Amino acid sequence: MPLFGNRTHLQSRRSRRKKRTAGDAGTSTGGDGGGSGGGPLDGRLDELLAKVTHVFGTDTTLTVRKFRIFGTYPAAMLYFPNMLDQNTLNETILKPSMSVPTGLDPSEWSAPELLDRLASEALWHSDCRRTEDFNDLIEALLHGDTVLAAEGSEAALVVGTRQIDKRGIDQPGTEQVIRGPREGFVEPLGPNIALIRYRLQAAELRTRQLTIGRKTRSKVVVCYMEGLTDPDLLAEVDRRLGGIDIDAVLDSGYLEQFIEDNQWSPFPQVQYTERPDKVVANLLEGRVAILVDGSPLALIVPTVFNQFYQAVEDYTERFMQMSAIRMARLVALVFSLVFPAIYVSVISFNPELIPTEFAVAVAGGRAGVPWPAVVEVLIIEISMEVLREATIRLPQQVGGALSIVGVLVIGQAAVAAGFASPITVVIIALTTIGSFATPAYNAALALRLLRFPLIIIAGIFGLYGVMIGLILIANHLLSLKSFGVPYLSPLVPADAEGMKDVLIRGPLWWMKRRPAFLKPKNPVRVGSEMTEPPETKSRKQEGAHSPSTEKE
Amino acid sequence: MTKATRDISALQAAAVLVSTIIGVGVLPLPLFAVRAADTGGPLVTLLACICALVGLMFVALLGMRFPDESIIQYSERLIGKWPARAVGLCVIVFFALLTSLTAREFGEVVVTSVLKQTPVEVTVIVMLMLAAISARNTMTTFAYIHFFYVPLLLVPGLLIVALSLKNAEPLNLQPIWGNRPGGMFDGIVTIAALFQGSFVLTIVIPAMRKPAKALVVSLYSILIAGGLYVVIVIAVVSVFGAEETRELLWPTLELAKATSLPANVLERLDGAFLAVWVTAVFTTLLSSYYLTSQSLTQLLRLQEPRIFTFFLVPFVFVIAMVPANIVKMYEAVVNVGRIGLMLTIAYPGLLLLIAVLRKKGGSALGR
Repeated sequence: MPLFGNRTHLQSRRSRRKKRTAGDAGTSTGGDGGGSGGGPLDGRLDELLAKVTHVFGTDTTLTVRKFRIFGTYPAAMLYFPNMLDQNTLNETILKPSMSVPTGLDPSEWSAPELLDRLASEALWHSDCRRTEDFNDLIEALLHGDTVLAAEGSEAALVVGTRQIDKRGIDQPGTEQVIRGPREGFVEPLGPNIALIRYRLQAAELRTRQLTIGRKTRSKVVVCYMEGLTDPDLLAEVDRRLGGIDIDAVLDSGYLEQFIEDNQWSPFPQVQYTERPDKVVANLLEGRVAILVDGSPLALIVPTVFNQFYQAVEDYTERFMQMSAIRMARLVALVFSLVFPAIYVSVISFNPELIPTEFAVAVAGGRAGVPWPAVVEVLIIEISMEVLREATIRLPQQVGGALSIVGVLVIGQAAVAAGFASPITVVIIALTTIGSFATPAYNAALALRLLRFPLIIIAGIFGLYGVMIGLILIANHLLSLKSFGVPYLSPLVPADAEGMKDVLIRGPLWWMKRRPAFLKPKNPVRVGSEMTEPPETKSRKQEGAHSPSTEKE
Repeated sequence: MTKATRDISALQAAAVLVSTIIGVGVLPLPLFAVRAADTGGPLVTLLACICALVGLMFVALLGMRFPDESIIQYSERLIGKWPARAVGLCVIVFFALLTSLTAREFGEVVVTSVLKQTPVEVTVIVMLMLAAISARNTMTTFAYIHFFYVPLLLVPGLLIVALSLKNAEPLNLQPIWGNRPGGMFDGIVTIAALFQGSFVLTIVIPAMRKPAKALVVSLYSILIAGGLYVVIVIAVVSVFGAEETRELLWPTLELAKATSLPANVLERLDGAFLAVWVTAVFTTLLSSYYLTSQSLTQLLRLQEPRIFTFFLVPFVFVIAMVPANIVKMYEAVVNVGRIGLMLTIAYPGLLLLIAVLRKKGGSALGR
């Protein structure tokens, strides 16, 4: 009963104070993490509570719970009840600090050392630290931790009680595989790091935490492999992340836009993934992963172009089949960029290139179409973009219906109405499907975007124009860098070891070294004995020894 | 040049030279060869390759003696400040001319065979702008660009040659020294002039990881590019015969026209060949343009190497428009090329001689 009474008393006091501070809320510097009352703590509990309530103003979710440690020392516990589990709070903090543990004689404890001894001898909570800084205390509160302050102590205890509800770990939505792990990242940082660490149980795995975002105070974690990742790369990542000064980091995508090399390039220079296995694979190649609290997508730097058409399955499935499929993907990627442009230029400028029968058929199909090929292609291409965007934005239940309506009905009707020729519809459909075959959505976006200028220049200059456009794009790609690594590595500059994983996916035992363009400090990743699969080797040895074994 | 990064491998340097040499010159090349010595065309081309190799080796040897400088810089130490600057200016003007003529030549090719209604000014300015934009890159990227495009140059050239073999008649190639060997020297000079873009080696060497490899690089690049030249001349002469080739303005393009892919995938190859050949012309143009603007900044001792990239476009464009028609343009190409040989072969040869006599510069081979 006294507990309950105490609490109501507290709350009424708080509401009184609320009224008082409401008046000068405008002048308080509130949210900046206690600009008004920064600095060290001085040991007076009332003063501390006043400062805290001043910082949070009229906010109603902050709870201040006053009590006496071991029934003697006045103390208070501050927390945001929605960000933690109150049962844990009761069991691990409140209970041990109110009832005197057996074998202890707290009456001898002096006020200044009270909290330290409490932490080391009484509290049943693992994550417990001491702070003497007021701003740190406010930050901890905002993070969801509990602050324990006592009269006469110039420090406060911060107990890590944060517990935010999270969705369960489920299959990554954007990177599905037939063969491979089914786990995807979730929003909170903790489980994500756990997902990485349980796959990569190596002491060399390092995490480095930063806080970015003036208001959101988002936790950003940089993961890398000690003794493997290039230290210059790490320094560069730190430098770029350190330079970010914005209000809010709501997703890793915010960071990407600040750390990429060239903001004006249509090509993504940072890869993102929601697959922990992909992060681990990249860490082991010598890359750096950046995770943000609240974002299920990890960033991976440096990124080179060939990563955008590699899929997880390339490595989990057998190499020969996946090499063929990777080539198909590459064809799709090139298709999605140049197919409509080549179509336009062949139809409008060089019909003599294609076989005569086909050229006649194409001309027949285009007979009723009133505008030149470039206009026709642009119209169909733009309507395709509209359809695609609509399909993404609509609620899932409607989406399926819309895509059928869009593709079948509109396509058919457009041809029947003499609005577009059938061959154009085929070309655009192939292009669109080709762009879906690119595993990385952001790279597909870039190619989608570049398709339009190519179509237009094809309409003006024909194949010559397409080549000019492609040369411009290729030169841009060649001059692009991601964290100092040339974007087209390992193709240009050539790297024989890296080439085993560009067009084809070489057998795992064949790719002995990590990609050299990442400058790993420890380049070898496959044991030197692994020249070929163990099975073949043992068979060979058996073959060599077989005569003697047969005799026996 | 400020402290440049030495990032270019021997392979990349060779790629720069190969893709620079293979350019728009390949299109009229068989005509030049056949004009000089009818069926002796391939032989003339081969001799021209050797001639070009000698010039390139002078540049390479000089580069190995002065691995941190380009010709503009070390020539001042060899023959004195003002004479070197005067010749340096000549080199720059010459390469500006070469750039403009290359752009004009390809502009004419495009306008004549594909975009028949487009004014030649448009195609020329498009090519020049393309070169100017790309010339803003660093030396490393410059090498990457060339390296990336080399397969695009070699594959179509060799493909056309291979596909034309079914129409080839070996008898057309005989006698191999031609029917009137007297004109050979003229032809050698004209064709050797097509190799002059390789002078770009002088600014590549200071960025090479191992400048000592410059000699090997020049040897291999002439072997590859010159090999393609010879093979193309052989193919054209053996398919058309010397007399027929003489009537063709761009025999290589005609060769592409005369061939078709198996299974009739593409009925005619000339349009596609020309499209792919844009890259070959682009790389040549980029090299000479880059050489011009870089040398100009070195001559004027400017720190910012990109300052002239766009500034030069109008000048080069105006020069490109001076010849009244294709005939006049080819006269200019041949004449400018011959004068250029003085600058790209004789001048480095002279410098090398002086360097050896005065014992200037260290030997990169010793490193």
